[in-house]
This record gives sequence, structure tokens and C-alpha cells, in this order.
Amino acid sequence: MDCLDVVRQLWDYLDGELTDDRMEAIRAHLAACRNCYPHYDFERAFLDAVAATRREQPAPNMVRRKVMAKLRQAGFAGM
Amino acid sequence: MTTADRSKRDSDLRFEREALPWLDDVYRFALSMTRDEADADDVVQETFLRAYRSWHTYAEGSDCRKWLFTICRNVFLRSRERERRKVDHGGDDAHLETMASVMMSVSLRQWGHEDLLSRLDLGPAIDRAVGELPEVFRDAVVLVDIEGMSYDAAASILGVPIGTIRSRLFRGRRLLQEMLINHARDAGLIPHAGAPCTGLA
Repeated sequence: MDCLDVVRQLWDYLDGELTDDRMEAIRAHLAACRNCYPHYDFERAFLDAVAATRREQPAPNMVRRKVMAKLRQAGFAGM
Repeated sequence: MTTADRSKRDSDLRFEREALPWLDDVYRFALSMTRDEADADDVVQETFLRAYRSWHTYAEGSDCRKWLFTICRNVFLRSRERERRKVDHGGDDAHLETMASVMMSVSLRQWGHEDLLSRLDLGPAIDRAVGELPEVFRDAVVLVDIEGMSYDAAASILGVPIGTIRSRLFRGRRLLQEMLINHARDAGLIPHAGAPCTGLA
């Protein structure tokens, strides 16, 4: 596996969406290649930054109340 | 209490225990699609109403969040009175998108700004950029990169093949990166005109 193969599959690798063999081959290449590692580092930092924008954003109470009202109209007897 | 009453009570309890705890997640997903709180409100109400009415079709023990997101997505599409898109943006493009992204990292290194991502306060910029992505790409980025779903789960929710999710996701990521680079340029953190990038290293 050469550098071109590795960078072409970098996002698949970071997403853990490759076969075990391919994951291992890329992991080994990155550990040894000074050219490819910075690309990996950049893409990983980017994906981490995107993932970090996920906020625990509670639905407003008004939405919660409306959902419950609608469910009760439909016969829901819980809560 | 009749058998039918007991069965309904048990079903409601299961709905309360398994579906309702995902209300915040469904709201966040609805908001990511509608980009409007009032519209998200409507979509969430309709999602839970449909989920309740079709609760008997939910396979106990399966991924309830994914099931609710699928309903939510369908409610959103119907609310927009739009046919579900079946456009395949081409799985083969995915590798090219990855390569284009790597070129950005090469350019940043050439400019001596390889640590740009760690220096920028990216949260607000990413939020804004995600909101500006074309919808097909935004949906893939939100489900995989923000909600942490697999390609398979995102494909199931959006009703498209995995290859389509992958190419939309990669295109969306690259567009996001371009927007962030522009943000950094506007902030004067990197030059407006960089040396053309011709190689990987």
C-alpha cells in the first residue's frame, strides 16, 4: 500500500468503515510514513472539531408539551 | 382490566421507555434539517405522533433512535412536499473528495499553518458552515459526523445506498473545509492567495 492508496482512503479509515485488513495496513503505513501522518492528523482534527459541535440541546419545554398533548389525543396513556 | 387494556398499557409503557427519551435527539435532528425552530417543532410533533401510531411495527430491541430519525426525515420531506431525492452523486467521486481535502492540508503546511484547526475557535464557524451546506450534503454530515452514526445507519435513514452516503459525506466535508479556510482567510489568519499545490508531500 503506497501513499496514494492511503490518502485516498483516509476518511474511510477515520470513519472505521474499512475491512480489518485494510484498517491494519493503513494504521501500519501511517505509523511509519512522515508524509502521510500530517494529513491524517489534519483530517482527524477536522472531524473532531465537527463532532464537537454536537450540543446536548434539550427540546424546548413547549415542544415537549405539544408532543405529549398530541400523543394523548391519539390515546397515549403513559407518563 | 381486559387483555386488550393490558396490552395497550404495556405498549404505551414501552413507548414511554424506549421512544420518548429520544425527543431531544429528534428535535436536534429536525432542527438541523429545517433550520427553523417553528418548523422543527411541527416536524417533531408529527414524528412522535406517527411513531406512536406505528409503534406496533417497531422491532423491540432494535435501534429506536435510528427508527425515529427515519420517521423524522420522512416527515420533513413530506412537509416540504418534495419527492425523496434519488440522485446518486457518484461513489467514485468519494476518493477524489478525500484527495482534494488532503490537498488543503498540503496547502496549509506549505503556508506554515498546519495547526490552523487547533488555533481557530471552530465551533461557531462550523455551525454556520454546516447550515450553509446544500441539504443533501448537510444531512450526511449531520448524521455521520455530528450524530455519530455509521454509513449504514445514515443510508437507512435517508433511504439511499451506502455509496451515496459516502460520496455525499465526503463532498460535504470538503465543502465544509473550504468554508473554514475562507473563514480563516477573512480573519486574516492565512493568506488570500496561496502557492498552487502540485504534490502530496
